[in-house]
Amino acid sequence: MAHTSIKLDILTPLGPKRRNLEVSGVEIPGLNGELGVLPDHVPFVTPVVPGVVRFREGETSVRIAVGAGFLEIGADGRVAILVERALESDEIDVGAAREALVRVNGELVAQHDSIDAAEHRKLVTQQGWLEAQIRAAS
Amino acid sequence: MANLKEIRGRIGSVKNTRKITSAMSRIAAARLVKAQQAALAARPYGERLEEVVRALVTGASEGEGSALHPLLGHRTGNNRVGLILLTADRGLAGGFNANVNRAGLTFIKREQAEGREVVVITVGKKGRAFLGSAQKIERSHEAPTLANIVERAKEVAAEVMALFEPPAEGQVGLPQCDSVHLAYNYFKSVLTQEPRIVQVLPVKAPEPSASGDQPVPPLFEPDRASLLGHLLPIAIEAQLQQAMFNSIAGEIAARRTAMESATDNATQLIGELTLHYNRERQAAITKELMEIIGGAEALKG
Repeated sequence: MAHTSIKLDILTPLGPKRRNLEVSGVEIPGLNGELGVLPDHVPFVTPVVPGVVRFREGETSVRIAVGAGFLEIGADGRVAILVERALESDEIDVGAAREALVRVNGELVAQHDSIDAAEHRKLVTQQGWLEAQIRAAS
Repeated sequence: MANLKEIRGRIGSVKNTRKITSAMSRIAAARLVKAQQAALAARPYGERLEEVVRALVTGASEGEGSALHPLLGHRTGNNRVGLILLTADRGLAGGFNANVNRAGLTFIKREQAEGREVVVITVGKKGRAFLGSAQKIERSHEAPTLANIVERAKEVAAEVMALFEPPAEGQVGLPQCDSVHLAYNYFKSVLTQEPRIVQVLPVKAPEPSASGDQPVPPLFEPDRASLLGHLLPIAIEAQLQQAMFNSIAGEIAARRTAMESATDNATQLIGELTLHYNRERQAAITKELMEIIGGAEALKG
């Protein structure tokens, strides 16, 4: 049985961003690179890294910035994107994100060897998330 | 007349108290809706994540588990257990903090009786104040709010994993534990919150789904082991988030209930005092009348 659309859920701990959305395909930033999902995909699990999720909703193309998380395609063909955070492109404050990115980059360079691993990881995560926001909004 | 004045003063002060408690109860009622909605909104995420963990972990036996990822393996030999005590920052919420604190203390006592050291991380000021000097507290955080729940869960999760993973070269790590537990208030209903202690680490494979049918094992990319490395930290964060949502909703619900009953008590007390006041007033008037009559009688005679 061939389907022409997939059911897409974008879920975050602060509530679902989109639920039961019918899309013809979706592009996701995976750990091993950008990947596209089309209808009738096999059950599949892969990590999602901070980046931009793209799909078409009717005639408009939607871009959503996501944090780290998971992509799960169930046996019934449902696609769930489980991410720690997600922002629609019109919810993003690009100016603030750019400023914060400059600050984070500065800190990463300035404190290259004076901070511990946990602090470094925190900054890198923040950097990825800010870059994702800027790309989603542009 | 000093007595009458005293009673009037008390009525006034109880009325003021009632104003405060009823305002607090109304505020809590309004916030409760929001907290419940947030907890409800978080549920689909938690459930799907649990399904993914289940799909990944099922099939891995005990021995295989620790080979797949250190956070899955059972360990002994450190003779130490970790406890995360999740309370609120503020009191005036009935037995909310006391219950979870007592459950935590019982846990600590039991572990110590069995000769294990307990490493405590507190979230929420009330837990820290309660354990205070009796127990060394390794790290402490303030209670989460609905706005910073994700960040707070992340911070705590990082420390939880540090209790289990040896630190990287040249860094001071936290004491290593055999297992890590979390004590929190489970939001059973608006009227009841139940202190619970659950094991966070090592990650236990969730129970098989109730439906019983084995789902088709999905494809994993990359392989299972590296996927677990990515997934388990997120799963631990999600578990902490769920507990925090429960705790926040529970705190507000407990405060509402406590403040509501305080308001009721105040109303009752005001009623009693007013009755007393009127009786005293009446007695005074009667006494005065008797004196006047007595005086008049004396003049007649």
